[in-house]
Amino acid sequence: MRLAPLAVMAVISMSSVALATDEAAPVPAPRDTQNASVVRGGIVYRTYCVLCHGSEGKGDGRAAKMYTPKPANLTVSPFNDAYKEMIIRRGGTGVGRSAFMPPWGDELSDEQIHDLVSFLRELRKTGQSAG
Amino acid sequence: MNRIRLLIPAALAVTFALPAHADNHTVSQVKKSFSVPVVKAKVGDTIEFRNDDDFAHNVFSLSDAQSFDLGSYKKGEVRSVKLAKEGVIEVECAIHPDMKMKIEVKK
Repeated sequence: MRLAPLAVMAVISMSSVALATDEAAPVPAPRDTQNASVVRGGIVYRTYCVLCHGSEGKGDGRAAKMYTPKPANLTVSPFNDAYKEMIIRRGGTGVGRSAFMPPWGDELSDEQIHDLVSFLRELRKTGQSAG
Repeated sequence: MNRIRLLIPAALAVTFALPAHADNHTVSQVKKSFSVPVVKAKVGDTIEFRNDDDFAHNVFSLSDAQSFDLGSYKKGEVRSVKLAKEGVIEVECAIHPDMKMKIEVKK
């Protein structure tokens, strides 16, 4: 019977340690996680980019048939995030590439562009693993 | 009198032999919308798409009747397309997916 209070105290003590550990490691808010950014970027992609780049990012969207050169296959894109962001903001003409790629800097917010680049990074990983 | 009888059929023949007069239709893009949902036109007419918004638009169509892409252009610019054959042309904006209109083209 005397052991019962001690056991209760031990449990409370361990819980406090666990709580303290949780507080020590900052947990990002759900909307700030990389995964959330990729999900939001996917929504941006399906709204604005899928028309030319296609649902899987392979450059085979329904408008692709009109263009030469064809829209980029984003699953094998060699460009880093900074360059992708520049193409998205300025459009093809703004970076000396295909004029068929519109500039999105006035249409998309900074957060949308950041999210879109996150999504494209994941798309490329998926494309590489699938290939 | 005989001369007039001869001239009337000749005048009619010339009148009907001439191609129909081609018209210009202007469609504005304002507040992320086309100014009209439908334009009724005929083959040979020209549709001018004028950007009255403060940001770029990119008018295009993937319709079987006629496909085209006018590219991205800013406020105040006008780009046009000449209607080549009859049918219904569904027009969209590549930058603003909610923007849609139709051109009904007759001979």
